[in-house]
Amino acid sequence: MNAPGRQGPPARGGWVDWLEQRVNLSEIFSFITHFGLVYTPVDTQKPVREVLREVAAEPVPRYAHGARVLGLLAAILFGLQIVTGVLLAYYYRPTPEAAFESTRTIVRDLPGGWFIHQVHAWGSWLLVAVIVLRLLRLFWEGLYRAPREVLWWCAVAMTWVVIQSDFTGRLLTWDSHTYWSTVRGLEVVWAIPIAGPILAFLLGGRTVNADVLIRFYVLHVMVLPAFYAAFLYLTFATLRRVGLSQTGPARDERPIRYREHLYSMTMLTVGLFAILVTLATLLPLRFHGAADPYVTPGGVRPPWYMLAPYVLLQRLPLPWLSGFVMLAAAFAVLLLPLWLRRDETPGRRLRIRLAGAAVLLVWLVLSVLGALLERR
Amino acid sequence: MKTPLVFLLLAVATLTAHAQTVPPAGPAAITASSGRCGVCHPAERVQFEKSRHAPEGVRCVSCHGGNDRSLDAGAAHGAGFRGRPARQDIPALCATCHSDEGRMRPYNLPVDQYALYQTSGHGQRLARGDRQVAVCSDCHGAHEILAPHDPASSVNQLNIPQTCGRCHGSRAMPGAREHQDVLKKYQSSVHARALFEQGNLRAPTCVSCHGVHGANPPNVGDVDKVCGQCHTAERRYYTSGGHAVARGGRRPECASCHEAHGVQAARPERLASSCAVCHAGDARRLDLGRRLWTEYRTAAAEVDKAAALVAKADAIPIQTEDYHARIEEAHTYLREALPAAHSVQPEVVAGFTTRARAVGEEVQKELEGKFANLRQHRYVLIAFWFYVLLTLFVLKRFRDQAARNR
Repeated sequence: MNAPGRQGPPARGGWVDWLEQRVNLSEIFSFITHFGLVYTPVDTQKPVREVLREVAAEPVPRYAHGARVLGLLAAILFGLQIVTGVLLAYYYRPTPEAAFESTRTIVRDLPGGWFIHQVHAWGSWLLVAVIVLRLLRLFWEGLYRAPREVLWWCAVAMTWVVIQSDFTGRLLTWDSHTYWSTVRGLEVVWAIPIAGPILAFLLGGRTVNADVLIRFYVLHVMVLPAFYAAFLYLTFATLRRVGLSQTGPARDERPIRYREHLYSMTMLTVGLFAILVTLATLLPLRFHGAADPYVTPGGVRPPWYMLAPYVLLQRLPLPWLSGFVMLAAAFAVLLLPLWLRRDETPGRRLRIRLAGAAVLLVWLVLSVLGALLERR
Repeated sequence: MKTPLVFLLLAVATLTAHAQTVPPAGPAAITASSGRCGVCHPAERVQFEKSRHAPEGVRCVSCHGGNDRSLDAGAAHGAGFRGRPARQDIPALCATCHSDEGRMRPYNLPVDQYALYQTSGHGQRLARGDRQVAVCSDCHGAHEILAPHDPASSVNQLNIPQTCGRCHGSRAMPGAREHQDVLKKYQSSVHARALFEQGNLRAPTCVSCHGVHGANPPNVGDVDKVCGQCHTAERRYYTSGGHAVARGGRRPECASCHEAHGVQAARPERLASSCAVCHAGDARRLDLGRRLWTEYRTAAAEVDKAAALVAKADAIPIQTEDYHARIEEAHTYLREALPAAHSVQPEVVAGFTTRARAVGEEVQKELEGKFANLRQHRYVLIAFWFYVLLTLFVLKRFRDQAARNR
């Protein structure tokens, strides 16, 4: 009847051993690593000190480097969003009457509230940017091919979840500009054939009112983070099967110890936090007054990632075409691995990259047009 | 034996039924109030049936006399027939009913119109034998007289300018050449825009200043009383100032600067230019006008600057409820400063502009202080980055050490 804690080297005493004899700390550590940090399975039968020692000595690719850093940044940013988001939720009240007032109370009257709010706002902006760039990087490196299809699907799903978190979050302040920006965005969503009317029905109609606000709030603080965590879990479960990608130049492929990788990640976290603090201090997002559903301020655009379908919606003769384009793009990205799964020649790979770049260019041009669009 | 009784009962029933088909006499009987006059005068009949008089028991014969039950022209136009009343007789004719308190009481109508008319310019000229002046029917119509609240009535609030303008805006009117464009001037005025464009039925028309039945141009010295009915604050300051003192039977009045009929929206910058209309060569008085304008302009500029800062503070956001109230207070002083300018005394205007400017400057100073506090975040940021770089440097040393121990 050996307890797992007694199998390791002689006990050194202290609170870790005291706890080790009562709780399986390796199990807890293993649970945490399912959502990040460690890319290999953890032996939960060994004592936690030994597990940590083994993990620290584990060889990993030099990952906190170049474009590969995007995944780590997304994970760090997600953590920051959770921490700041929970703090904001203490004071936020999700009703049309109180939403703007309570947000303003947080920013204006609570000590340090402006900092939490601005870090959360800029964090969401960076998270969307990072998660989209990560998807582009995975496409460019061809990391959707077998056996990494599930990783690709997870990346696509996480991009969707993050964009939806940003979209639902920007309504919550009930600021006149973000409110109407959300209305413009929803116009795009409602134009999607079949799914649009169903979504409008689920939201409780096509008026952005108290019902939409509370539904967005629930999505933003419960449903979407839960989905994000689930896809994070799936990503790491997949990583433990297929391993980290080995795509860089040869000199980067010389593995390093996990201990070094951990230092790099800490440096990344510190750097990212410093950038967020700087943005929040020097370029704080402004308030425009509480939203009035009967008064539309001029010059309101949907969020930047919806500008391309928005310009199609505004300028194409058939409104459902823009929604169709958006839906088609989403499915095309999701299904990419299914028809590109076989190993291909370098020439074919180049053609795929060029096709992707062309699609991206069209998207960017449409987005610029959308930003310059005068609404009819 | 029973049969005759049944017949008798049937006969009684038939007679009774027949009696019921005869139209009962009394107020329920709707008969043409024009009587039989309309047979020969159908156009007048149609007009009269639409009028406010027709349902109230006024008949053709009430004004024209004669007999409206006869179809024979000789009998109808017989005893007591007045025909078309002479113009000079019309006011007295209307007054037979409209000055009769007993008849007007049920309608809650005033009975002083005739007395007022006799005091009016129209009434006095008529008494002197001028047959061209307006009598009741010129404004109210003859047969188709409608209630004033009826939008089709010629004396409805919205139609009064056109009704008066029929004579007072026409070249045909003798001896009033200077007032020929009076309707056009009124229609260009701020009063007419309020009435016709904004639908403000309290906006003044001709009768608001000149009187209704007692219509007359206001006398010299009375203009400020007329305008002051609505513009009370302006009048209060005007009467306390130097302009209200008559010199040689004349004195500058509201219309001297604002025009009588073509009144335009008051623009504060006219404080600087209006004085030149009378005081063109008088440097001291011209300077006084410029001082009034400068007082107002500098104060308004300070308040505007403060309001812009409050808007900027709202966007950050920082606490501004108090400042909103103070900007409102400053706007109240500025609003009061413009009527005060009618006293043409810079010290009276300064009483308000100084307070407005003081509030504006105070708000600016306090908000600038808060912005400066916010800017101190930047210095903290420099210190923060120093520690960030230090931390990164230390972490990099640890990482390099870990790499060497590999």
